[in-house]
Amino acid sequence: MLAFGFGQRALIGGLLIATTCSIMSFFVIVRRLAFAGMGISHAAFGGVAIGIAAGVNPIVTAGAFCVGVAGGIGWLSRKGRLHEDAVIGILFSASMAFGVVLIAVAHAYNQDLLSYLFGSILAMTWADVTILAVLSVLAVAFLIFFFKELLFFSFDEETAAASGVPVRFVYYGLLITMALTIVISIKLVGIILISALIVIPGATGLQVSRNYRVVVLVSLASGLVSTIAGLYLSFRLPVASGATIVLIMFGLFLLGVLVSPRRGYMQRIKRKTKASGEI
Amino acid sequence: MKRACKVAEYFNGSGPHTLIEMQNVWVSLGGHTVLEDITFSLEEKMFLGVIGPNGAGKTTLLRVMLGLLRPDRGSVRVMGMSPDELKHELHHIGYVPQAVMFDPIFPVSVFDVVMMGRICCIGPLRFAAKKDKDAVAESIRMVGLDGLESRPIGELSGGQQKRAFLARALCMETRILMLDEPTSGLDIPAQSQFMDLLTELKERLGLSVIFVSHDVNVLARYADEMVCINRSMHLHGKPEEVIGSDRLKDAYRCEFDFLVGAGGHHHEGGGGR
Repeated sequence: MLAFGFGQRALIGGLLIATTCSIMSFFVIVRRLAFAGMGISHAAFGGVAIGIAAGVNPIVTAGAFCVGVAGGIGWLSRKGRLHEDAVIGILFSASMAFGVVLIAVAHAYNQDLLSYLFGSILAMTWADVTILAVLSVLAVAFLIFFFKELLFFSFDEETAAASGVPVRFVYYGLLITMALTIVISIKLVGIILISALIVIPGATGLQVSRNYRVVVLVSLASGLVSTIAGLYLSFRLPVASGATIVLIMFGLFLLGVLVSPRRGYMQRIKRKTKASGEI
Repeated sequence: MKRACKVAEYFNGSGPHTLIEMQNVWVSLGGHTVLEDITFSLEEKMFLGVIGPNGAGKTTLLRVMLGLLRPDRGSVRVMGMSPDELKHELHHIGYVPQAVMFDPIFPVSVFDVVMMGRICCIGPLRFAAKKDKDAVAESIRMVGLDGLESRPIGELSGGQQKRAFLARALCMETRILMLDEPTSGLDIPAQSQFMDLLTELKERLGLSVIFVSHDVNVLARYADEMVCINRSMHLHGKPEEVIGSDRLKDAYRCEFDFLVGAGGHHHEGGGGR
């Protein structure tokens, strides 16, 4: 797979995306942003449609669009007139509807559009990889440098504000970072499956531990393993890379549920086999 | 270093110093007046009990003191500073929120939670140093949770969680503790245990305490001074003066005998504005 240029680019791109998504995933889980993530990722369709209709790189328009939607979700729900989930529901469906109408008007329903819906990691250019790398570094840098503020904010926003954490900056920073993370993931798994990338790894981590350091590491490991394995399988077998990655991620999540020390399935199985062995 | 000086300078020289000064403070939220013409001052090292019925603006009063809400009119000075100046000195104010609705599966230990209180001392873009870890360990010891440092916060009992939040409020350079109905949701023994711990720490560390509750009885027992608010300030004085006053009835708009009777058991908290 690495003998080919497209294979190298896919692997480098995939690993960058997996790293960013897996770290982001931790905050998506603890701050309960899974629905916001789904909303922003589907809203990306509107942004992609603008790009295709206008003949501009759809990733750029989707990026601007997603950051706008993320800001809108933050602003409207902070205003307090509507709950976050309602705001997300409104913006997400409106953006998709806008995309569908725009595509029809511009007669742009083509192969290109499908690649944004389902991902096209094997079709990445070096320019794509460069954009991806820059955005990944920005997103990961924000998450690492403001980790303690983000953690405090996610745990107890009121006290964080009272302790001088700039909660508005942190909240919008998190939403915008999520929007960027989503945009760079379009290439890997496509708009339809992105939310899996920012929800499943963190959820897997939380099955295994109640220590945030372990949760982040498990999240990262499961994201990277799924991406490498998924790309390899899709290279060997006639299966779509994005969907394969998501399925492996889901498999690791189930494994996490199984070995979760809190649920104790493994302990129970061990006890049973031991008991039956004694008989 | 420069940051710490301002507050230290203020408290330098012979005391007692004025800790909080509010003059004709008006606050409205979403078009409704929540606080009306509040004027009062408080000396340092006092235990101030803020009472008032649900929705009386007690939480709003705390938020104004913390500088999180700006009054529409009037002036607020905390430790001699305006809200703008106070923004950089919040590491002197420990805050214990109303029943924290945290996620019980949030993956943080007691140590991690208390470390959150050090954030303002560590500063942005920095990681915790040894002195921060020592401060956290010391705070945990002070509230009697040593040995439970690595326990996930969700596995602690309600009383232990409240003590962890108290430790978080103490592990900065705390001079003032502001508590918003911290004992709500606790049973009576846990409640008195918390209050005893709080008063002991207040004396030992020379803290000033501002304690919001709608439970008149609890505060009457522990506070040096009490204020009663229901949108406007109804009373300010020693607990016995406040309790004996007819104006308390006005504030609660019901018979105080009923309040005292009901105060024997715990009032469910929440709903503060």
